[in-house]
Amino acid sequence: MTARARAYGGPALGAIVLLAIAAGAMALAGANPIDGFAALVHGALGGTDQICETLVQTTALLFPSLAVAFAFRAGLFNIGAEGQLVMGGLCAGLVGAALAVPGWIAIPAILIAGAFGGAAWGGIAGALRARFGGNEVIATLMLNIIAGLLANYLVVGPLHAPDATGAETSELPASSWLPLLIPDTRLSIALVLGIALAAFLAFVFRSTVFGYELRAAGDAPEVARRAGINLPRTAFVAMTLSGAIAGFGGATIVAGVLHRFDVELSPGYGFIAIAVALVGGLDPLWIVLASFVFGILQSGSLSMQAFAHVPKDVVTFVEGLAILALATRRFVAPRTAAS
Amino acid sequence: MNVALALQGVSKIYPGGVRAVEDVDLDLFAGEIHALCGENGAGKSTLAQIAAGKLAPSSGTVTGAERVGLVHQHFELVDRLRVWENVVLGREPRRGLRVDVAAARERVRSLATAYGLDVDPDAIVETLPVGIAQRVEILRELARDPRVLVLDEPTAVLAPVEIDTLFATLRALAARGTAILVITHKLGEVVAHAERVTVMRAGRVVLRSLVRDTSAGEIARAMVGGALPTIAEREPTPTVAAFAARGVAAGEGAHALRDATFDVRGGEIVGIAGVEGNGQVALADAIAGIVPYTGTMSLRERPLDGLDAADRIAAGLRTIPQDRQREALVLDWSITDNVALGDQARAPMRRGIAVDRGAARTLATQIVERFDVRTPSIRARVGALSGGNQQKVVVGRALAHAPAFVVAFQPTRGIDVGAAALVQSRLIEARNAGAAVLLVSFELDEVLALSDRILVLYRGAVAGSFERDDFDRARIGALMAGA
Repeated sequence: MTARARAYGGPALGAIVLLAIAAGAMALAGANPIDGFAALVHGALGGTDQICETLVQTTALLFPSLAVAFAFRAGLFNIGAEGQLVMGGLCAGLVGAALAVPGWIAIPAILIAGAFGGAAWGGIAGALRARFGGNEVIATLMLNIIAGLLANYLVVGPLHAPDATGAETSELPASSWLPLLIPDTRLSIALVLGIALAAFLAFVFRSTVFGYELRAAGDAPEVARRAGINLPRTAFVAMTLSGAIAGFGGATIVAGVLHRFDVELSPGYGFIAIAVALVGGLDPLWIVLASFVFGILQSGSLSMQAFAHVPKDVVTFVEGLAILALATRRFVAPRTAAS
Repeated sequence: MNVALALQGVSKIYPGGVRAVEDVDLDLFAGEIHALCGENGAGKSTLAQIAAGKLAPSSGTVTGAERVGLVHQHFELVDRLRVWENVVLGREPRRGLRVDVAAARERVRSLATAYGLDVDPDAIVETLPVGIAQRVEILRELARDPRVLVLDEPTAVLAPVEIDTLFATLRALAARGTAILVITHKLGEVVAHAERVTVMRAGRVVLRSLVRDTSAGEIARAMVGGALPTIAEREPTPTVAAFAARGVAAGEGAHALRDATFDVRGGEIVGIAGVEGNGQVALADAIAGIVPYTGTMSLRERPLDGLDAADRIAAGLRTIPQDRQREALVLDWSITDNVALGDQARAPMRRGIAVDRGAARTLATQIVERFDVRTPSIRARVGALSGGNQQKVVVGRALAHAPAFVVAFQPTRGIDVGAAALVQSRLIEARNAGAAVLLVSFELDEVLALSDRILVLYRGAVAGSFERDDFDRARIGALMAGA
């Protein structure tokens, strides 16, 4: 096989195998796979409403995926995007519900609050790593759980809003909602912000000294250290900024979709983001595309469940297989090849 | 005589069309030490892999490969396991489901005794000095009772005493009927220890001889395919104060640096002679600013204490680290991206917030030309270059911006005659241009050839100092051994 055939043939073959496994899983669940796929595609892309909803899911996945990729490029496995997204959303929701000012002040303030919330949460893991050499995988995993419980406690307990019906903040004033791209849908300008951020990050990685040092620290830490790059500081900064990106994403869900913070604002975007980032090869621009693909799965799976009677868990199952395959390729294959 | 391994008409063409080995015949005889010499990329390591049955030839036949043991240049040991565990790994004696530890340790101990390879079976491999770790690698191969033992650059990281010990071991093995193939670029070793020599160039055999019928000069000319490379002349250079270390101590344990006081002046090369493990690594790392130390250092009258690695680079320090693949180069990056490393934070490699790609490309092109780096392009992955060419990139980068002080740690480790001469010449030229150069090398010949002054480092302290006019190989060697 030529190098080119390997580069493109491998993923293509993988996609076909995954689709075949998905079809098998649908059949096992007692459904007709063709009906299942048709419902999935129709539910995700069947009309303007469906496409907009897919793009809403794309946006929700894009920010945490960029966050994961950002940390990953610096050699840090941030699996805490979920918690950072929740903390960002919480801060955005609290600030948004409290602010009674015009939108042009409120919206930036809400988004910045979200970024700060996520940055603080990512920064904890970064500081533990920088100061004590603590493993960021374990730290971020634990912080995910703490974030969910802390947010729940705050909005149900001390910060309980009088008009809240569940574990949520008050609704944001309508002037603080993100402007919609298409009226009468849930698709806001967050999508544009996400794509702009991806382009900006691509520039940071490719061209800036900061991105260069980040990549060096990730690709060859011992070399980077001897080249005068401060590894602890890099780890702290990378985790903080990674958290900020995820938290910003949480804020866009609050200000753009739910219009309040709800502890269930994420059905696991921060975890799916790990798969999206890997599928996108950690390249911000490819991650935009990967987010769209996963967005299709995310929004199509519900209609697949409703109309073809295929449990939406089939999608989760296939996503899990994709992560496994990609992680194997990334972490196991190089070692085998090297020996 | 008994042919233990025979290669006939062996060729190896890698995917992508690289002809690493072309039509090579090689016979290894029982009881003989056979040296295989050649420049980087001549195909020696590929041939060794084929001889050991680890790589299939594209054409040709190999007879006897099933009984070949291969000792790698970069040891293939499990660092965190004990010596005996490494030796029996994959062939553990068992008692029921469990490893029979007593039997395994006894097997390793008796093997070590039988071959005179003194090593503690219970030591953890990562705590061992390189020379001892190599013994473990050899023991592991001997445990399989090979008829042929192939060693890939076995002396690259050994001190003179260790080299003598290694060859004594190999001689004893040969006396028991084992055929030995040693891949090396050190001609002195070939002449002193081998019976037969084969020289390769560009994948082909260019010289095949009994060692007693040839000479180091003839072997060297065959390797490089013409006249021997000459090293640059050291020109009379006025020296100026540059680097000063006063009572520097760093690290812990047996390999610590205990007390280093010396100057390196601009316009001179100071060589650190010493057997590996006498504080050299701690010294180099302390100067580089990546490990804590006590005592004081200054460069051009500016105190360095308290400065981190980045500040020291900014002050004019450049390093050529010991391990180019682990410490100096990002192997997945291009030459262009690698040459900016260390200088990314300042002009000319930095412009505003961006890395100046144009400046990096210009520098990469200069280095490729000035150091004769064999590469298809400056965009090539550094990991795809041969060791010698990688080292040229590292040295080129270190000397690029008229450094005040250069610390060169084993700058010619594991590279061939031609590349080594070039690296040594560039270091001398940097000295002639006024740079202060600290050369740390475990190869006494190299220290003697390049230095204006030699300091002997023994057990972490300076045991002696020699000016070039007073170089005395025997006395330096004695001080290195602690006399």
